[in-house]
Amino acid sequence: MPVPDLFRDGLARGWKTHNGAALDRDLTLEADVAIIGSGAGGGTTAEILSAAGYRVLLIEEGPLKTSSDFKLLEDEAYASLYQEGIGRMSKDGAITILQGRAVGGTTLINWTSSFRTPDATLAHWASEYAVTGHSSSEMAPWFEKMEQRLGIAPWALPPNANNDVIRKGCEKLGYSWHVIPRNVRGCFNLGYCGMGCPVNAKQSMLVTTIPSTLEQGGELLYLARAEQFNYSGDAISSLECVAMDARCVAPTGRRVTVKARHYVLAGGGINSPALLMRSNAPDPHSRLGKRTFLHLVNFSAGLFDEVINPFYGAPQSIYSDHFQWQDGVTGKMSYKLEAPPLHPGLASTLFGGYGSANALDMSQLPNTHAMLALLRDGFHPDSTGGTVGLRGDGTPVLDYQVSPYAWDGLRRAFHSMAEIQFAAGARSVKPLHHDARYVNTLAEARRMINELSLELHRTTLGSAHVMGGCAMGEDPKNAVTDSLGRHHQLRNLSIHDGSLFPTSIGANPQLSVYGLSAKLATALAERLKTA
Amino acid sequence: MNPSLTDSPALSRRGILKIGLCASAFLATAGLGASLSGCSASTPASGFVMLRSSDLPFLRAVMPVLLDGVASAQEVAAGIEDALKKLDYSLQHLSPEMIKLTRQLFDVFAMGITRGPLTGIWGSWENASSEQIRHFLQRWENSSLNLLRMGQGSLLKLVIMAWYFRPASWAHCGYPGPPHI
Repeated sequence: MPVPDLFRDGLARGWKTHNGAALDRDLTLEADVAIIGSGAGGGTTAEILSAAGYRVLLIEEGPLKTSSDFKLLEDEAYASLYQEGIGRMSKDGAITILQGRAVGGTTLINWTSSFRTPDATLAHWASEYAVTGHSSSEMAPWFEKMEQRLGIAPWALPPNANNDVIRKGCEKLGYSWHVIPRNVRGCFNLGYCGMGCPVNAKQSMLVTTIPSTLEQGGELLYLARAEQFNYSGDAISSLECVAMDARCVAPTGRRVTVKARHYVLAGGGINSPALLMRSNAPDPHSRLGKRTFLHLVNFSAGLFDEVINPFYGAPQSIYSDHFQWQDGVTGKMSYKLEAPPLHPGLASTLFGGYGSANALDMSQLPNTHAMLALLRDGFHPDSTGGTVGLRGDGTPVLDYQVSPYAWDGLRRAFHSMAEIQFAAGARSVKPLHHDARYVNTLAEARRMINELSLELHRTTLGSAHVMGGCAMGEDPKNAVTDSLGRHHQLRNLSIHDGSLFPTSIGANPQLSVYGLSAKLATALAERLKTA
Repeated sequence: MNPSLTDSPALSRRGILKIGLCASAFLATAGLGASLSGCSASTPASGFVMLRSSDLPFLRAVMPVLLDGVASAQEVAAGIEDALKKLDYSLQHLSPEMIKLTRQLFDVFAMGITRGPLTGIWGSWENASSEQIRHFLQRWENSSLNLLRMGQGSLLKLVIMAWYFRPASWAHCGYPGPPHI
């Protein structure tokens, strides 16, 4: 049965969109509010402002791809939907960084895990970073609003076998585990969330807030890279965009000038600070791009006698926070445990190595379970995150050093993952590190993990969560915006995305971005009435 | 055993340092050097959009080593052109900055002046043995230079992923492919 493509139907009904790649001349667009970035922050903001009656222009660097384009193939998805054609990594090449780049942003390709910002994180921001108005009780209504909007609820079907390993292992060990809330409606339980949902079940921005914005008469400009702001006094006078070719690799030479009363920056960690840096935005205390956090991720593979088929079924449905707050908010680096889906291309890079070793790992894929640890970054003085810089061509790169503090967390995470995998019945376990091998007992695994030389490139490291770089807070010395996302120096600029976070979240961040953006956009809609 | 630059008795510690510095300089200027020496074509090879004819001897020599064990040697040989097509497709979508780095890497492999000292392959790639190629890969994996480690890691990722992007490779890893909707 063919699945209706809601977005294409909307286009046929006359939604207003501009395709940068197809422009045959330069263009000027005007709006009440120009929003840069169409992911969790931009989409949420667009819906709220357009519902309040403002003319919204949503600007996206990446292409417009809709459900009928999603063929569940890794090569096409990675090339078209991810930043830099999935080539984004930390400056030294040691950490792969997965971020979306298409209409819908990362919400188009994330694995749907939806957690409220942990209470401990919000309390830490209030006490350490002068963030006001974001306590758990003040944020709760915004999380609730977005949970309802996006169908966020704990996954009601049984977990796939890959996730069930976490449940079984934790049960056995007496560790806590929970079901992950997901933003889906009518999910087919396919397992391809990372390649674009082919059945419009994932409640990404592509099928929720962006359609409602366009339905209200808002406009969408895609395949256009926001290049720089121009200023008049302490206000932005215009935004210059360069039109990108259909691959989103090379500028076509056409330019789009955007004029708006107010600008909302929602390009996410890395891209948001980069636009301000390219634009020589005021940054009197040198905060731009600093304290950019990753949830650094390492992995452990387990071989099971039973079939796991880690490529099928909702990719993330069980997690454990057993270790997350064990040593307090600001103690040893701690972590959330989850499972990644393993499709062949991505799996081959996670296993690492080449030739017969990699081939053997791959031949056992159907019986392989993988676990990952998301390390909670930015809560300890030795956890300062990375710094965004600009390359010669003006594009950003994240310089991220892994501190001894973080390596200690990664080593403990290897131990925890191996322990849970064996408890769940794994026949053998291998931490994903070049010098590791599958071993058959927990004692052997512990010995091996203790001896591993944890260093860049030998350890498989990745991250799909980039946070910070335009921190919010009431003290302009330490922050780029105030607690309402208002830029401390530019009066018609707000930032609504994960770059505002003063630390990492300690959980997959999409609902944190939704709730925060809903709150900030609602306040902005009020302010614009009198501005 | 971890063969590395230090296994070569001819190389003193100072020599290693020197090669290290040269390597960085080579990598940084390889693109320029290649175009000056005329040994690196800037036009794509026939049938490809991004891959140049100067990239192909290296890739065709290294791929059977990287893919050893994923299928019979004949099947690997038969799949290489298809995998190169997938690699070419990935390269078409990398950011200009990542493409620049990748081309510099491929230039280092293509040019005799960098290939010999940095990979230990002094003759042509066509004549390099699997053993020599494995030695080069291990040397880069264990190099003290981040650039070489990064280069080796990128090469592995690009090539092995390209192989597994092909439906023909999925039988080996027990992946039935995406469901029909």
